[in-house]
Amino acid sequence: MPLKNPKTLLLTIVVAAACSVPAGLAVCAAEALPAEAELIAVLRSDASEADKALVCKKLAIKGSAAAVGDLAKLLANERLASWARIPLEAIPGPEADAALRAAAGSLSGRLLVGVINSIGVRRDAAATSLLEGRLGDADAEVAAAAAAALGKIGTPAAAAILAKQLTAAEPRLDHMAQAAIVCAERLLAAGQAGEAGKVYGAIRTAKVSEQRQAEATRGLILARGKDGIPLLIETLRSPSRRMANIGLFTARELLDGPAAGDVDVALVDEITRMAGGGSADKAALLVKVLADRNADGGVPPGLQATVLRWAASSPQAVRLAALEAIGRIGDASAVDPLVSLAADPAVADAARMALVALPGEAVNRVVIGRLSGADAKLQPILAQVIGARRIPAVAQLQPLVASADPVVRGAAFEALGNIVDLANLGLLVDAVVKPRDAAEGEAAHKSLLTACVRMPDRDACAEKLATAVAAASGETKTKILDIVGEVGGTKALATVKAAAMSGEESLADAATRLLGKWMTADAAPVLLDLAAAPIGEKYQTRAIRGYIRIARQFALADAERAEMCTKALAAAKDAADRKSVLEILPRYPSPAMLAVAEQASKLPGLEAEAKAAADAIRAKLPK
Amino acid sequence: MQASRRTVSRRRALQAGLSAGAAIAVPTIIPSSALGLDGAVPPSERIIVGGIGIGRRGEYDLGCFLEQSDVTFAAIADVKEGRRQAVKKIADTKYGTENCTMHRDFREVLDRKDIDAVLIATGPNWHGLMAMLAAKAGKDIYCEKPCTKNIAETLIHRDTMRRCGTVFQAGTQRRNLPHFAFACELARTGRLGKIKKVYAHPNGLRATMSGWLPAEPDPDPKVDDWDMYLGPAAWRPFNANTLKDGFNFEKGGGLVGGGVLEWGSHCVDLCQWAVNDCLPPVEYQPPANDQLVCRYADGAELIFREKGWIPLGSCPVRFEGETGWVEAGDSGKLVLSSPALLAGRKIEEIGGYPATVHVRDFLDCVKTRGKPKGNADAACNAHIACHAANIAIALGRTVKFDNATNMFVGDDEANRLRSEALREPWRV
Repeated sequence: MPLKNPKTLLLTIVVAAACSVPAGLAVCAAEALPAEAELIAVLRSDASEADKALVCKKLAIKGSAAAVGDLAKLLANERLASWARIPLEAIPGPEADAALRAAAGSLSGRLLVGVINSIGVRRDAAATSLLEGRLGDADAEVAAAAAAALGKIGTPAAAAILAKQLTAAEPRLDHMAQAAIVCAERLLAAGQAGEAGKVYGAIRTAKVSEQRQAEATRGLILARGKDGIPLLIETLRSPSRRMANIGLFTARELLDGPAAGDVDVALVDEITRMAGGGSADKAALLVKVLADRNADGGVPPGLQATVLRWAASSPQAVRLAALEAIGRIGDASAVDPLVSLAADPAVADAARMALVALPGEAVNRVVIGRLSGADAKLQPILAQVIGARRIPAVAQLQPLVASADPVVRGAAFEALGNIVDLANLGLLVDAVVKPRDAAEGEAAHKSLLTACVRMPDRDACAEKLATAVAAASGETKTKILDIVGEVGGTKALATVKAAAMSGEESLADAATRLLGKWMTADAAPVLLDLAAAPIGEKYQTRAIRGYIRIARQFALADAERAEMCTKALAAAKDAADRKSVLEILPRYPSPAMLAVAEQASKLPGLEAEAKAAADAIRAKLPK
Repeated sequence: MQASRRTVSRRRALQAGLSAGAAIAVPTIIPSSALGLDGAVPPSERIIVGGIGIGRRGEYDLGCFLEQSDVTFAAIADVKEGRRQAVKKIADTKYGTENCTMHRDFREVLDRKDIDAVLIATGPNWHGLMAMLAAKAGKDIYCEKPCTKNIAETLIHRDTMRRCGTVFQAGTQRRNLPHFAFACELARTGRLGKIKKVYAHPNGLRATMSGWLPAEPDPDPKVDDWDMYLGPAAWRPFNANTLKDGFNFEKGGGLVGGGVLEWGSHCVDLCQWAVNDCLPPVEYQPPANDQLVCRYADGAELIFREKGWIPLGSCPVRFEGETGWVEAGDSGKLVLSSPALLAGRKIEEIGGYPATVHVRDFLDCVKTRGKPKGNADAACNAHIACHAANIAIALGRTVKFDNATNMFVGDDEANRLRSEALREPWRV
């Protein structure tokens, strides 16, 4: 026999195609499994229960009628019954059914429940009368299992048996109803909607829990199809939250088939009724249902106009829900009404959101078209929408930048920040360099920053900004330099270095500040150069500290970090800075760092700290 | 308005809508009085939540729930006393009360009429069955993944959620992370052209099963309830290591499970979203060259791939269409075939935010009865794909799946692995 006794059987057995797991522990790919006869021999042997359990798993794949008898013997074994039922549920053919039915006649308690569960999984219709007999079992678990199995069998006969049980006493009634609902689903799937409807109807009139009532109501609505719409509406009106909830859920399910359009019509009527009848909150939830039903397309004619009417005039909750719905189901024809609503303070934000969400390129064209001729009240709204939708409409927004109205100008700048491309960056640069007033300067600066950080070609962007720095004066220079820092990249780094060395105090201040928080390690050589450059002691110190920060914080190769620490020790003039270099060394223990520490221990004033660093590194290095 | 029969689903071209949607956090507009979203949440609008099996991952989820002003976390059920105590302490500290009740048997939580929803974060052994029992008890459910152990359980799970009208959210929080959503939307809306290949990271192309470790003395069930821990899994003696390994214990049941199911329930879920949540693939090949290739009915491929990823963090996915591609991972970054696909935005602008949004999505749907992003139908398709791929691994051969019958075609052995008996007295 090929199996070894797995005294310490694995926690996890790896089933690899190559079966490359330790001998005795492996369950190989199915082709490599032992023959059924060998597996049966294990069951008949005095092998351990662990071995037999594993064999059961294999028989689930390889077993046949020949294995059923030996597996059935395990059904009375409390430890192995659950393993034996794995192949007994899987092995095709009447032998396994017969074995389970036989076991059901002799077992009790949990073991009987397990066997009945397996009968249910196999949908053994021949067990129907056996299961019916168990519905009144003194053991409630057995009765519930029998009911569930009948539900899964799902034949008209099983349905009739379960329907009779709907007068049973609590707490069994709910189990019976649960099984009957599953049974009705089987009937419905088999095209027996009438039979299914009867079962659902019987459950609805039985004294079952509200949850079962809800499930049966859903089932009945679905079984009735178009004729189920009145029940759907009745359910939506229910004062019970659970029942109303199942109505909301079911209304979303009736998406296909002849009833779909009628459901929309019925929902529209109901929303109108609820909105006018003091149930605005419920109406709003139904509007959301309507949107969910239609968000994937096929919006019925007239629905958009109806929803827009709600958005324009109905209780506030319904207006807001309608605007959200329009954003999902609307098209370009909704732009004009939404623009008007965006000027209504009560729903302005929601209308703007809807304009932003409306799907389709056609919407963009209408929005741009609407901009021409728009007054100062609508211009900011449209500019916001253009920016948020990323509509490439720089030319159309450009005149708004020149508007006398600061609100219009501000909105235009904000939008341009989202849409301007590299070729048109000059628009914003010019506004930053030569603003008409402080407010415009601020708006343009913010817009330029937004635009620059999303430019795909960082170096080209930095090049333009470098030119702008040169052309600007005073505080504007440093403001643009700040944007250069945000952009990052090779050209930006060179621009900031040049600014640091420009001899202009304010630029040197800004540049060294930016380099001190640079986010890539390529700033290190620049900082080291500046630490030795004639830019003033204050900025030299700032530069060496920026250099030390990179050595301390960034991901670097051991050798590179060690070299940087060596250079920092040489370049740093302040004793505190040199000690801060020594603090880096034990954070990244390596032979290279140890060498730096040992070398540093020879430097005057650093002996103790360097020795401590060296000791700490040695303690962390592998012995 | 006139009635019209829905015929063909309109594929919504996103164009501007795509960029706008991801750029601006469009609030869900739901009446605040109905939803209690205005900050002052009346008691009638609060969602009372119970937790079941809250370990390390569950505590993260729990934190997301506790952040919500309209949630009251009221009960914890766990087979381990230590965890019951720990979670009660978290909840009571948050609320400044002693009200969080503790239960060894989760069914006591399900029986409580005041509890609206449950957070299930047990080991995967329990996920499917427990969610179905919760649904039947009328609870809405946030459940960690993987959600099911085999194909049959997956289908029953989906049908149960529908039958009970349950709002179900799988813990596939990446559906609510904007950069993944953006990548999926590019694929779904045709911006990449017709989709040819979607790639998922499986975290190991191996199928696994849990074994039978040597018996140790049974613990006091009040401290560690071994029988309840085993739950639907076939019986085996107590062993402390098995008890400790809750996440891997009987993860996939049968001869299947492993990384394909564990990680796939995230990555394949995203791939499924990218192909419009269509039915799962119809053909699954065994692994070769560190990848496992599946084929959808329209010829597109779902590829589980171990290697060859752009380093974008864990859980990477890649979608390739006829005109472009996109790849994304847990770093929050995207790589695209063309910057034009960004529609003028910067990748960092799209980047992620925490999984709290996934919880919020669930809670909003509890109130509106809408479908959350990780709903049971979506989870069903992704899990079937993972289970079927695992069966191809376990059998070492190509298997073909018929989505109409939910059976493998002409492969008795594969069909036998579609389901597995549950230990008595449990059933689905």
